[in-house]
Amino acid sequence: MKDILDRNQNKAEEVRSLLREKKVMMVNIISSPGAGKTTLLERTCEAMADKTRIGVIEGDVATDRDARRLQKYNIPIVCINTGGGCHLDSHSISKVLGHFDLDQTDLLFVENVGNLICPSQFDLGETFKLAVVSTAEGDDKPAKYPMLFTGARAVILNKTDLIPYTNFNVAAFESDIVSLNPGITIIKTSATGGEGTDRWIGWLTSQLESFRAG
Amino acid sequence: MHELKIAEELSAMVSHHAAEAGLRIVERVNISVGQFVQIVPDLLEAAFSIAAVESVASAARLEIEIIAAEMRCRRCGTEYRPDDDLHACTACGSTDIDVVHGKELFIKSIEGE
Repeated sequence: MKDILDRNQNKAEEVRSLLREKKVMMVNIISSPGAGKTTLLERTCEAMADKTRIGVIEGDVATDRDARRLQKYNIPIVCINTGGGCHLDSHSISKVLGHFDLDQTDLLFVENVGNLICPSQFDLGETFKLAVVSTAEGDDKPAKYPMLFTGARAVILNKTDLIPYTNFNVAAFESDIVSLNPGITIIKTSATGGEGTDRWIGWLTSQLESFRAG
Repeated sequence: MHELKIAEELSAMVSHHAAEAGLRIVERVNISVGQFVQIVPDLLEAAFSIAAVESVASAARLEIEIIAAEMRCRRCGTEYRPDDDLHACTACGSTDIDVVHGKELFIKSIEGE
């Protein structure tokens, strides 16, 4: 019996051990298109880039628009255009790591291609996966896409400012997630307005501290 | 459409193992896929037939066995088949659970001559 994604898994372990040696925490961010990954990264850079050395790998089907939005923070950014591909894999991450000075990096974000299914299948060598869901997508996403939510360490519920205009049921959303993954952290934000992003930054900072201590 | 990437990996592995075993033609590839692995079998079959063109497995049939999900409760030890959208223990309701089966994705065997 041979695992079909062996090559991806082996390369992911290689990436993980390199990043552990260099003390770089890598966060693989997965969401639907338009959930707010890039806006969340903008808020994160604003809050952390002065004291934390951040790098970003932008995975997009086409264009460097997301990468351009982050250029104002003067951080190293590498854009991977998948040319139609629906996810990143560990080989694509391994190839671009050389563009970063890992000795001068604390935190590396991977903004995966917007998609709830394919990216959750491929280990990139990340420290953990972060799921982002926006309220406009509906509260049934955890039940419908369980692989992502069972594999993520935390989930951001974004665009909470839109809840009054939707039928989003926060309690149902939370209970579905907890039934899939009891240890997961749920953080509610409105990244555009900034509400709740302080809780996200606080949680992320504590993850970074325990990663670097371990 | 991550099925194509999985089909490419599968095709490369099949060619590798066929060469090791001295097979000239692969007639059948048997794989197991867990229920939680989000694969559409028809799409994987179609993708494999494309990925394996010009390989020893170009005419091979892909047989996909789906492995049903099975959980084990860490609190009471019950082993059970979960409902579609509720994974909690069917005996005690705990959500502290292990996935015993359902995440598999592997080649069982390759047949040929």
